[in-house]
Amino acid sequence: MIRIDHVSKSYDGGATNAVRDLSLEIRSGEIFGLLGPNGAGKSTLLNMLAGVLAPSSGTIELDGINVVSNPLAAKRNLCYVSDSPDHLLRLKGHEFLRFIADVYEVPDAVRAERIASLAREYGMEGELDNQIQSYSHGMRQKMMIMGALLPDPAIWILDEPMTGLDPKASWLLKQSMRRHADAGKTVLFSTHVLDVAEKVVDRVGVIAHGELLFVGTVDEMREHFKSNGSLEEMFLELTSDNSPFAGSGEKDHASEKSASATEAR
Amino acid sequence: MARATAAQGFSWRQFKVMLRVIMRGEQHLDSTGMGFGDDSAKRRTGLWGKLGSGARKVAMGFLFLLLAAMFFMMGYMLGEFGTAPYTALSLCVVCLVGLTVLTGLYQAVNILYFVRDLGYYLTLPISATTIMWAKLAHFLGMSLLGDLILLPVGLGCLLANGAAPGTWVSMTLAFVLCAVAVNLALVIVCVPIMRFSRLASDKDRFSRVFGGLIVVLALVIGVGSQFAVQGDGLASLASGSEQLLAGGVPAVVMGVLCPPSLLGRFVVEGGAMSAIAGLLGMLACVAVYAAILTVVARRWYFEGVQALQGAGGKRGRRVEGAELTRATRTRGALAANLSRDWKTMVRVPVFFNQFVLSSLLMPLYFIVIMVVSGAVGVSQASEAGLSPAELLEMARSLTVLLTFDSPALVWCAVGVLVFGLFLGFSSYSFTMGVSRDGEDFFFMRGLPMDWSAYLASKFVSPFALSTVPMLVVIAVALVVLGVPVASGIYLVGIYLGATISLGLLSLGLGALFPRLTWDNEAQLVKGGGATLMVFAGILVGAVVMALPALSLLSCVLWGILAAPVALGLSLAIFVVECAALVWWVLGPCARHLSRLER
Repeated sequence: MIRIDHVSKSYDGGATNAVRDLSLEIRSGEIFGLLGPNGAGKSTLLNMLAGVLAPSSGTIELDGINVVSNPLAAKRNLCYVSDSPDHLLRLKGHEFLRFIADVYEVPDAVRAERIASLAREYGMEGELDNQIQSYSHGMRQKMMIMGALLPDPAIWILDEPMTGLDPKASWLLKQSMRRHADAGKTVLFSTHVLDVAEKVVDRVGVIAHGELLFVGTVDEMREHFKSNGSLEEMFLELTSDNSPFAGSGEKDHASEKSASATEAR
Repeated sequence: MARATAAQGFSWRQFKVMLRVIMRGEQHLDSTGMGFGDDSAKRRTGLWGKLGSGARKVAMGFLFLLLAAMFFMMGYMLGEFGTAPYTALSLCVVCLVGLTVLTGLYQAVNILYFVRDLGYYLTLPISATTIMWAKLAHFLGMSLLGDLILLPVGLGCLLANGAAPGTWVSMTLAFVLCAVAVNLALVIVCVPIMRFSRLASDKDRFSRVFGGLIVVLALVIGVGSQFAVQGDGLASLASGSEQLLAGGVPAVVMGVLCPPSLLGRFVVEGGAMSAIAGLLGMLACVAVYAAILTVVARRWYFEGVQALQGAGGKRGRRVEGAELTRATRTRGALAANLSRDWKTMVRVPVFFNQFVLSSLLMPLYFIVIMVVSGAVGVSQASEAGLSPAELLEMARSLTVLLTFDSPALVWCAVGVLVFGLFLGFSSYSFTMGVSRDGEDFFFMRGLPMDWSAYLASKFVSPFALSTVPMLVVIAVALVVLGVPVASGIYLVGIYLGATISLGLLSLGLGALFPRLTWDNEAQLVKGGGATLMVFAGILVGAVVMALPALSLLSCVLWGILAAPVALGLSLAIFVVECAALVWWVLGPCARHLSRLER
């Protein structure tokens, strides 16, 4: 379970907030999709959950462990795929996976088998002996996802994970997410691809200007807007300047809406 | 192919546009890390950023002027010893050609080919010849600025000889034309190499080869200068340079690499008409080389760039089954971090050249110096009727006196500290440990990392590369010279205390103030900031060695402490310092990293 309580993040000493007083609870056993336009604060929020950024205020708990006060224990419980797959490029695929397995202390008994299985699933068997820098963007993304899935922690946090993946890998990842959630664990991912969100998520959160504008199921979102349109249309309506949630005058109302939506779950 | 060649005409308008774009900030992939690219650092903002940037520029300007003044004085001394201005110019030109041939080819390739933006230029409707000339103009501008550092040798000689102002101008023009010509010659060679050589299409391999060559060059210059500056070494070097240009095969080689160099005598030693004719001749040589380069570039530059864009793809073996199990078996946090750091350092050519080859340079340098000095000493001794065995016996009879109650051992310990201070130059490898990770650092921030193990691994690699080889050299020297065992162990202890504390303090400072936002590796290890950091290593060394040095000097200079007390105290101080620094690095510094944000 992920519990975010009144979290704000400012990069300029409080003059502006990339994330503003955000509260949200994501339960075990669900896939939660975070939607938002560019610069909405999605990556900042996910980076705070992964312990890469510290919140300016508020608390974040992953399965009851505070990320700020006990980062190591919290991180052992999660895997994080950032929005860029260009990491540790000079390592070979199997060296990268070994490093991740060592850091997460994946037992010797299962790591080779798990690596082989992931490589087979994602079609990377023939690439493990190559340096990551020689991979295409999609292959690098696959390697990052394999690294994240290898330790099999309870919470998955994925920032735009489908970017660059071929259809098969994308389908595989969605299947993995579903299996993970069905096993009672938690998946949180951000995406721009609204169709993906519509088909995969149990609940969706829409974030813009650092504030959570809506939390609920896709059906609830449709009902709320009395529309039979696609998620894309609703998303555009929510995040547009004419949205009833946009603008500081509506801030309290939006917070109430999101809080009530969270409580309603 | 004919169509492609025909489309490669030169356009003056496009040339100006391209040059402006290139000068405004192009990203180079300088893989040697020896400072041959021109990656403009990000513009600093804020008071501290501007102050830091300004201070760095002032410091770099000061260093440049210091070197120029040093060369000017060398030229002046040459003149005072009777060297003619033409001989001094010959020395400048031969040095220029030598340095350009060894380092310039890589420099040219880096500027003309290893450019991240080049792939984008290929998509634009601009001819390859125009792109190449715009890049070449940029390259020549940068090269000339660097080459000008040699000119003060000639000018200093002119001052000593009381030359007329016209000669100063003509010598300067002659030197500049020589610099342009040799760079053009290099590019004429470089274009076909880049088109047809397999080595050139593997940037990493190409960079390593040139990194190795540059290290050899540094070794030769370092050792050579030890002997050249003694006695009339420099004057001999100058007259040798003149002979190179006088005739025969060397003059033909120099004539091919730098045709204007053969006309230097007319410019410097003749009258006004002779100087003008000589300069016009030099200009004509440059024009001919420019024309040849245009033809060569029109034919092969574009093809070379295209070949490079598609190069580098490799297919590895399939790793599976038992091999995969072996390759992924469990390691501890320190071993995992050490392995990752080592592989990255060795596989990134910039880091390999800067941190591996350069670290090995110092022990190699000392070994060569020891061997050459030993050979010279033995030869001089045999002239004086002493056999090598007798010479060694004499040395051993002296080293036997190095006991704990002897001031001689204290002086030896002081010598070890001075040597340790000198090693401050290589502490840069420790300081850069965390910065080497760049953006990867923030990836690891998302992992459950043991930051103490991470920092410990950052200590092990440079220590193994810089300190351990020197330790072996010292141990061999101690054994050969017959230093008593206890005294030898003590001196080794002092050496380890000095180097470990220096490394730990440098590593900790690098962890507290890492530079993690760079676009390519070369940006990190070259330029003004990196140079200043190398010199700052001396200050760090002075800090850690101050107290032990005081303890030793209080015995031999001021007689406050007895020799055994001073020796014991200095070692004890090092032990305490190292313990405190270990606590500081693995505690506060590691915690700082665990909270570091972009």
